[in-house]
Amino acid sequence: MTVEFLYPALANLYGEAVEMKYIEQCLPDATVVKTKVNDEPYFAKNDVDFIYMGPMTERGQEIVIEKLSPYKERIIELIEAGKVFLIIGNALEIFGDYIETDEGEKIKALGIFGTYAKRKMMKRYNSLYFGKFDEMKIVGFKAQFSHSYGESEDEGLFENIRGDGLHPGSRFEGIRRNNFFATYLLGPLLILNPDFTKYLLSLLGIENAALPCENDIRTAYEKRLKEFENPNKEYLG
Amino acid sequence: MKKTPRFLFALFLAKIALITQRILKMNASYFPGKLAITLCPDFLGRIDKPETIIGVTGTNGKTTCCNLIIDALTDLGYDVLNNRFGSNINAGVASSLISGSTLFGKAKKEIAVFEIDERSSVRIYPYVKPTFLLCTNLFRDSIRRNAHSEYILDIISKYVPETTKLVLNADDLVSSRIAPGNERVYFGIERMETDLPESINIVNDMRLCPVCNSELKYDFVRYHHIGRAHCPNCSFSSPKPDYLAKADFENLTLTMTRGLESTQFKLINDSIFNAYNLTAVVALLEQFGIEAKKLSDILSNQKIVETRFSEEKIGDIEVISNMAKGQNPIACSCVFDYVKRAEGTKEVILLLDDVHDNAASSENICWIYDADFEFLGDESIKRIIIGGVRAIDYKVRLEIAGVDESKIICIDKESDTPDAVRWDADKIYVLHELYRNDEALAVRDEIKRRLRERTGGNA
Repeated sequence: MTVEFLYPALANLYGEAVEMKYIEQCLPDATVVKTKVNDEPYFAKNDVDFIYMGPMTERGQEIVIEKLSPYKERIIELIEAGKVFLIIGNALEIFGDYIETDEGEKIKALGIFGTYAKRKMMKRYNSLYFGKFDEMKIVGFKAQFSHSYGESEDEGLFENIRGDGLHPGSRFEGIRRNNFFATYLLGPLLILNPDFTKYLLSLLGIENAALPCENDIRTAYEKRLKEFENPNKEYLG
Repeated sequence: MKKTPRFLFALFLAKIALITQRILKMNASYFPGKLAITLCPDFLGRIDKPETIIGVTGTNGKTTCCNLIIDALTDLGYDVLNNRFGSNINAGVASSLISGSTLFGKAKKEIAVFEIDERSSVRIYPYVKPTFLLCTNLFRDSIRRNAHSEYILDIISKYVPETTKLVLNADDLVSSRIAPGNERVYFGIERMETDLPESINIVNDMRLCPVCNSELKYDFVRYHHIGRAHCPNCSFSSPKPDYLAKADFENLTLTMTRGLESTQFKLINDSIFNAYNLTAVVALLEQFGIEAKKLSDILSNQKIVETRFSEEKIGDIEVISNMAKGQNPIACSCVFDYVKRAEGTKEVILLLDDVHDNAASSENICWIYDADFEFLGDESIKRIIIGGVRAIDYKVRLEIAGVDESKIICIDKESDTPDAVRWDADKIYVLHELYRNDEALAVRDEIKRRLRERTGGNA
């Protein structure tokens, strides 16, 4: 199995470097390719099973858009082929149509999805998030400058229970098409949500995998779930 | 800006608030300023300021640097207005200016030293224009407020006045790039034996050249992105320090060289952070007009505030408390590294939960995945006792870091953590979050009490 981490030197904000480490621990037999910013992505000419990319600076987003633009058709081909993608934080915006800055400038993104993002650099948005993925309960954190709009409800990833989705008023958080999963949720997502991690591993052909530190991860998940279900807990702030 | 009736009214009420809070023995460092800014939003622009303003900003070390600067100036006979006992956001600076002004808003002092929160640059610099601004460093800090270091770099660069002379860390490739058009001097520390060829930290926010995006080549790395680097593909490189210090941790001295002159200072401990703080302060005060030679005795008498660091040996065991600033992954990583490098075996108590978040909400714990808990996996650390609501999250983090599960003990209540100490190590560390001082120091004192009991009160 081949896993590609896209631009880990650049796309690793908000604890995601350890999300990558955890993915490696979950997939000890996988070949992991860590693509550097000035290298051609491994997926361009090779078969990959799982592509991961984490959150980055706003300048980083522009670099990555430039780097990935030549491979837009190949990315679409991989999504259609059911390859697993996990795209975290503002990396999600790179796959949308454009990112609008505070000054109203529209930075053209890959345009694979019809969404667009609006940045407000002096208005940081922080929240807890509680949602559903099939019957699984999903928990996560949001800390971001932008929201995404123009989503298709057929492609929502997590259904909101509490907390805002892609934007305030949206019913869903994240984007899903086949096995392409993109979400603003931080956590790290896979460490916070053991059932979702197991589901993701099952898509990679690993059924009923025992996760690294599973018992403690599950205890932490259940404790957090109780807190997030508590109506007295503040979500925004 | 003119002193309008609205400004005078705001100043008058703020003065009353200040006096009332002082009479009631309340901390008057935030509310009077907040009140004044609420009543008169451009209050900071209208109140007179001291002629010389020294600003100190940066992710880590600004409080220590500010204290050193204020103490040194006071020792030299200057009467310094400052916000050392208060808030470092716009309301704190306003409170300080209110306390240092007459009823009509005239400044009573000629010099001010303000600690300035990086994120508050937007609200402070349009009105308060520092003559000198020292920036200690810029790192990832609170995910919720500060996002990432490039964001803070952009904010400071955008708002710092063009007339402000900058005193910057040449070994920090983020903060050394603040406002490139401003006049500046750089300080740095000479290469040391402990420097590394590459960063071993999880976080290094300067891996790519900010000019051409090529991978930077580090000449050496001290921690995270602190070190010296150059781009193999363009002319970008670390700036040359105007003030270069040599740290000798064996003899606890710091020798500062500028041009042909060298001056020696005493270091209070072998922490690289204190060496940087001292270097930064000497550079700043020299720029202010005080020769390094005059500072040697004054700065050699520095002390660390006991709530931030304390150590005491009772019998054979040393009890050390050290602030580790929760939600600040770099500060925590540095403390963990310091504990790892310390001689002897250790038991470590972690009290890092955020008090405010966990009371009303649920703490965003992403930051613990940016901190190098891996350092606590060192074999010299026999036990890690975690206290607080988020203990299980820290346990997961430590396990992912490779720490043996059998070494980790989770305890819900911070005050119960001394029960898990086994007294079988040379040192007991209490590493605590800034806002957990009272609880942490109570834990530390309880450990000391039990230790004295165990040694029969002879120690």
